[in-house]
Parts: sequence; C-alpha cells; structure tokens
Amino acid sequence: MHHSEPAAAPKDGGRVTDDIRARDVAAVLDTLHRLSALGVIATAHGSAVAPPVHIPRPDSSWLRIRENLLDRGATVAYATWTEWLPAVLTTPRLKPLLGRDWNRYAATRDPAVRSRFAASRLLIKYTAAAALGIEAQDIDIAYRLGGRPYLRGLDQVEVGLTHTGELMAVGISRMGRIGLDAERADRRFDLGLMRRQMCTPAEAAELAALAEEEQAACVLRLWTLKEAYTKALGQGMRLPFTEFGFGLALGGLRTPDGAAAQGEEWAFASHPVLGRYLISAACHDAGLDPAGDTSVGTMLDRRLLTAMTPPGDQGPAVDI
Amino acid sequence: MKDSLAAGADTSAAAGRPAAPPTRRVPGDARLRAQYLEDLLGDPFAAGNPHGQQALLAADERREAPAATEELLDRFGLAAEFVPRALGGRLTGVEGLAQVLRPVFRRDVALGFGAGMTALFAASVVWTAGDERQRRDLARRLLDGGRITILHREFAHANAILRGEYTARPAPGGFTVEGRKEVVINADRADAFVAYVRTAPGDGPDSHSVFLLETDRLPAPAVHRLPRARTHGMRGAHYAGLELQRCPVPAGALIGRLGEGVSLSLRTFQVSRALVSGGALVGGMDSALRYAVRAAGESRRGLVPRGRRGRVLAGVFADLLACDALAVAGLRLLDLAPQHALIPSAAVKYAVSALLHEDLDELAAVLGARGYDRGPAYGGFQKLVRDLPVAGLGHAGTADTQAVLVPHLRTLAHAGWRGEAGHEAPSALFTPGAPSTALDFRRLDAEPRDPHSGCDGLLAALLGAAARLEGKRTRGPRWAALAALARAFAGEVHSLAERCATLFSRPDTGTLAPAAYVLVDRYCLLLAAASCLAVCENADPGAAEGDLLAGPDWALLALTRFGRRLGLEVPDLPDGTTQDLAAALADRYRRGRSFDLYGMRLA
Repeated sequence: MHHSEPAAAPKDGGRVTDDIRARDVAAVLDTLHRLSALGVIATAHGSAVAPPVHIPRPDSSWLRIRENLLDRGATVAYATWTEWLPAVLTTPRLKPLLGRDWNRYAATRDPAVRSRFAASRLLIKYTAAAALGIEAQDIDIAYRLGGRPYLRGLDQVEVGLTHTGELMAVGISRMGRIGLDAERADRRFDLGLMRRQMCTPAEAAELAALAEEEQAACVLRLWTLKEAYTKALGQGMRLPFTEFGFGLALGGLRTPDGAAAQGEEWAFASHPVLGRYLISAACHDAGLDPAGDTSVGTMLDRRLLTAMTPPGDQGPAVDI
Repeated sequence: MKDSLAAGADTSAAAGRPAAPPTRRVPGDARLRAQYLEDLLGDPFAAGNPHGQQALLAADERREAPAATEELLDRFGLAAEFVPRALGGRLTGVEGLAQVLRPVFRRDVALGFGAGMTALFAASVVWTAGDERQRRDLARRLLDGGRITILHREFAHANAILRGEYTARPAPGGFTVEGRKEVVINADRADAFVAYVRTAPGDGPDSHSVFLLETDRLPAPAVHRLPRARTHGMRGAHYAGLELQRCPVPAGALIGRLGEGVSLSLRTFQVSRALVSGGALVGGMDSALRYAVRAAGESRRGLVPRGRRGRVLAGVFADLLACDALAVAGLRLLDLAPQHALIPSAAVKYAVSALLHEDLDELAAVLGARGYDRGPAYGGFQKLVRDLPVAGLGHAGTADTQAVLVPHLRTLAHAGWRGEAGHEAPSALFTPGAPSTALDFRRLDAEPRDPHSGCDGLLAALLGAAARLEGKRTRGPRWAALAALARAFAGEVHSLAERCATLFSRPDTGTLAPAAYVLVDRYCLLLAAASCLAVCENADPGAAEGDLLAGPDWALLALTRFGRRLGLEVPDLPDGTTQDLAAALADRYRRGRSFDLYGMRLA
C-alpha cells in the first residue's frame, strides 16, 4: 500500500453557492482529513487513480487527463453540469454527439434533467476522446447488462460515471474497471440504519469508538467507497454492502471481519472537490501491465493488416 | 487403467519428466479421454484429493505449479494430445482437444496453460510450416517429456506478456539472435522455444521469421534465463524472462521461409484463439458458475429459480451455452475447413472473452462475501477472477483480434450477399461432438478466403435460422418469442451491412475510422447469436442433454441478453422461461454435469 497525496480539506469549506451548510461541509472534510481518510491508495503494481481534475469546458486543456492516464493508470475529470450547459446549448452537433443517447435526451421533458443528462454524456465523450485521441462524436457509449457504461469496441480504457447535485465526474482507466461515486459532504445518513445495513461487523466496531459527528463523516466516505467499488464491478447495489468493507483510515478492501481482501489489485481514492463534495474512486488492476499508449490510431498491428492483403489488392488496406 | 498410470512410466533422462504412455493405454476417442482425465483428477472438493481445490489453491498461494497434478498430467500423457496422430501423438481435431483440456481448465486455468496448451501454441508453427525433420524431432521431444514454449514478437499496444522481442542477423552457418523478453510462460524450464524473431527492419509483413531454438543445441553462455515475474493472475504459472546474447542459431532452426513469421502467426493463432475460448474461457466459466450455484444453494433462502439470484444464474448459464456454441463452431470449422477459419476464430475469441468477463462480475454479486473466501470451497472463484483476464490477454488480446476483424468489414460492406439467406455455413459446424476430420495445420490460411466470395457463412446462418423459426411460431409462446427475436437480429445483420457500406463510402481515407471498432463489436455479438440459433436448430432432442439444447429457453434468454448489449428494444421474456432454465441449471448441478454444451459427467 502506498499512501500519497493526502488531500487537504479547505479550512473555510470552500466556495458555497447553493444550499449546503458551509459549517457542516467543513467539519466533515476536516474530520476525514484528521482521520487520514482522504487521498490515494495505489495497487501493488503502483497504479493509482490520480486526484480529480476540474474540466469546466470542452475546450479546456485535457493535458493533465492524458498525463494522469499515462503516468498513474487512471484519471478523473469533473465539472458542474451548468459549466457544460453552454456547450450543450450551442453545439451544432448535439445529435451526432449524443448518438444512441439522443432518443433518451429527446424523450426527457424536464429541461433541467434533459440538459444535465446531455452535459454528462458530453463529459464522458470528451474525456474518453481525449484519452483515446479521437473525436468525441466517434465514441459509442454502450451499457453492460448491469448498467455500467463502456466504450463499444475500444477496451483499452474503462469508464466510470457519477453525478450528484450539480456535480458530474467521469473516470477513465487503462488498468481495468473503474467506479466512481460522489456525495455532497453535508449529506446526512441515519447512523443506526447505516451501521446495520451498510457496515460490516468490523466497520461497525470501528465506528462505535468515534463521536457521532465523526461517525457521520466516516459513514459518508464508506458509502462513497462502497458505491464506487460495486459500480466498478458493474453491480450497483446488487452486491450487498455488508459483504465487504474498508478501514476508517485510508486503506484497501477488507472482508466483513476486517481482514485484508485482495488489497493488491484495487486502487482507491477519496477527494474533496469544489469544497463541498466528496468523490471516491475504485479501480481494478487486472495485472497485465498494459501499454501506456491508449490511442485508437495505433491499436491495430500494421504487419497483420498488411500481411492479410495480397500484393496489388487494394482491398482491406489500412486506410479505412 | 488408473493403476497403469499411477505406477509411473519411464522418466526421460533429458527433462526429468515422464514420457507419454503409449496411446493404446488411454481411450482413443477424445470424449472418452476427457471423461477419463476428469475421473483421474477426481472430485475437486473431496478432502485429501491431491488434485483437488485445496491442493491447487495452496500451490497458487505459494506461486508454484501444482507438482502432483503436473505429474499426473505427464503420466496421462497430456503432451501427446498436442502431437498429431501421424507423428505418434493423439491429436486429431481441436474440438476433441478442447474437450480433453476442459477438465484441467475447470480446475485450474493456469495449469491448463502452464502444463498444457502453451505447448501447442508453440508446436502449431512446426505442424503448420516445419519440414519433415523438424516435425519428427519436435514430436519426439514432446512425447519424451520435453517442454516447449513460445516467444511472441511485440504487438501493437503490447502488455507485459507481449512486450519485447528478438532480432536476428545473418551469420556464417545461420544467424545470430539478440533480445530479451521479461514475461514468458515456462521460460525458466522450457528446453525448446518457438521464437518469433525480427529478421528485417520496418513494419512490413515480412519483418519477422520463426526459429525453433533448442537450448541443448545453443551455447550456454548465450542463453540467460531471467527470474520469475510476479503476476496478479496465474500466480502458479512459471512466467519468467529469457535473454539471448549474440546467440548463434543454425540455419536449420528456421521454420518455414525467411520473413514468413507474421503470416505464420496469422495462421497458427487461429488455433490458439479457438482453444483459449473453447478450452480456458468456457472451462473456467463453467467452474465460476458452479461456485455461484453452490453459494445460492447454501444461502439462507436456498436457490430460488424465481428470485434475483435465479435470474442471474439462468442468464449466465444461457451466455455460457451460447459462448460454447460459438466456440465449438470455431473449433469444428478448424477441423472441417481450416482454410476458412481466419475471421471466425478471431470473432470467437473477441466475443467469448468479452461476454464471459462481464458474466464473472454478475456472478460475483451472487457470491457476495463468499467471493472473497480463500478456502477450498469458494477460493477457486477469486482465483478465476485473477486468472481469466490473463488468459484473454486483455486489450492487447482484443486488439490482436480486431486487426483481423476490421478488414473483414469491407467484405460485409459488399452488396453481393445482402438480402439473401444463401451460402449458409454447413450445419456440421453446429453439432458438438459429431464426427469430424483431423485438423490439417498446413491448410490454415493467412488471408481471408470466404467460401462464396464476399459472403459470410455464419451471418447467413443467422438469416436462415431466423427464416425457419417463423414456421415454429405455432409451437408455443416461447418459440414465437424466439422467432420474433431472431427476426430482429436478422434486421441487425442487414443494418450492420449497411453501416459497413456507409463506412467505406466515406471520403475520409488515411486514418482508421473509430466507427470500425464499434461495428466489429456488433458483428461478433451477431455471430454468437447465429451459433446459438444454429446449435439449437441442429440439436437432437433424443440425445443425452440434447433436450435442453433443442428447446427454445436457452437461446431465447441468450438472444435477449445479446439484444440488450446491442442496445435493441427487447421484449420481456414469456412467463417461466428464466425459471425453467434456472431449474435446468440446478438439475445439472445436482446430477454433477458440466454446464457447457456437452453436459459431461463430473468426477
């Protein structure tokens, strides 16, 4: 386990532009910071989910997204949907950009819901396009049976998506499956209910030693981690949250009794963003030590392509 | 028979491994040999079985190959399975070989590669292009207990297993070979290597050649075996490195012609891809599903076919049967008409690995905390989660198949065959276990050669099956639903052809269009649906386990799941379909039968 980059919680709770109570937000993030619960856990191979990168517009710089993907193995881009609303409203190519999601967009009557949906699809497509070196409209977002999105035909990266309130975030990994979850830092849980229905016995015991305010912060983080992990598995909440667990401080996956479980293959990260949200990421390293190059333009072996074409035949050439 | 094996055969002095027993000691028929091997390996969950899960998991934990089981496989003469019968071995068809390997893969995927299939990946180059002396020598080496592995060249988007390569320069009497690879299965203990070596600069199709490197004929100071590599998956397999420094290699070590390497990889990988799919992936998934069925049965409520777990298990069972339908079609095509297998074998690998990896996640949700168990009862599941991605080689494995499949879209774009259901692939491809011919490696082709210029026989089989299902609508609501679904898939075949035509009519040449990969993905799902319908249509309801395959339930559920993956609007299943399939699965579990097309008796 490699601890790195514990993310500092902003002291004043950050900019507050909506109805979130700034004091609660600051207290929650402070608590998590104090308990060393924020930051990045790398896999045994050293791959990790880099801290989230704010991408407020499609024409923002994608350089850090590409660098993080190459250097760390996984990267997260986030924005508010209102930041991307102008792009949704002004692009002349919304229909080709949404592709198969256009029907769902067109059938949604509430303009805010519709715009948020479109903004989140654009964020996925632009982030994936930056990672793969192709145009956003060439990305075909498909869905696994469990609902997890993926890029049809392009398995050099996996994608994960989350949104809550006005925040939306997209994770891209070249190591293996990735899941994300974000919650507002002041989201309140019924602690008794959570201990019974979400926590493993080991987690419940650890929580019991803390003050109630601290428990609330820890439950929030556990919730986002468990959501992120099951989303990475493509199972949403079909895998009961009491069947696997985490420590309250930064660390890897544990069995219900608190023992380490496959900690080597999973990277985890929890970070505060925009001063009022907590994003957690879970990323699996399939252990194949894949190529750093994820671009679509280089993925077909040129020798195989040319070898299948008899000389003089202008048939299946590279220039499709 | 068991006694004659357990007594231990002569050990070969060269390799310290027993030589394969004479063929007459084991059954001649592949299906019977599979059963014989299954029984030799015994009940995986019996306490004290030296080849059971407890022993195999313990070896994996220690990052060691399971010695007792490797020895048993040696005594069984597993190596003979990879040597053509004409050269003294037992290999006839690859469908039969996949059957023989499944008992091994069901127990330990890493063992199936490490103690078994890797030898054929390497030897297939010699069976395909070697001269008589090379063929005879290698057959002798394998039958005498020698170990052979393969050194791949570096592919586009290579991962650790495919990274690095060797270069040869002409030298007096032959060549001098240099280079290093870090992660090669059995590199620390092989006595022969089939090596793809660069013999010309550049990206041309004749950049590489294949050499048979026999370490006992190379100067020891030039050959450096590098330490074991630590892998997440297949921990017990011997992944290690090999470095060659100014290593003299005689001219006679060249297999085939100079510069023929890329072409030979295109020819022989067809066999590898079909066997990885039909051996390792289907065999491993059979076990994964068995762990989930057991976990559901042991849960508080037991296995309720009507419940959520019952639905998941039935869905994965349908996928597994459909994947096996596709895999067996690919294997039988290799046996019956290898010159046509280039495209289908790549599609088999693409589809089977994509579908089964997704299913593994679904099963993890059914297993819950048991999925993290390290004990003998469920520890094998987590081992499969680690091992199966290595077996499929991840994105690098996908990219390798895409390089073959993307050019095929041009064939699909040709208007010639659209709209007609003619030129269907023969039904002999879709009858698992039916008589077949021996695979003739020399007939493998590196160029796509479709039987009816520009036609795709497997897609045509989908159109044909869909048309014939219309006549079965009156048999009941499930047949009617299957006919409707098959018609929707036939529509997708036409839509795919049109999209391919559109792709190739676009003026933006010069780069590979990303849309091509989307179409390849859809094409492979359609081929899986085609095989599924064709196996259903050709199944004999009177045969053992044929009842299930000849009925509509599994095909209906499989096509429903494929349809959702394709993004089609799929209607709800008729009442009881899923429950009945879940019940059929539970029945096979109770009767101790495998979950694949063969439904063989398990030890």
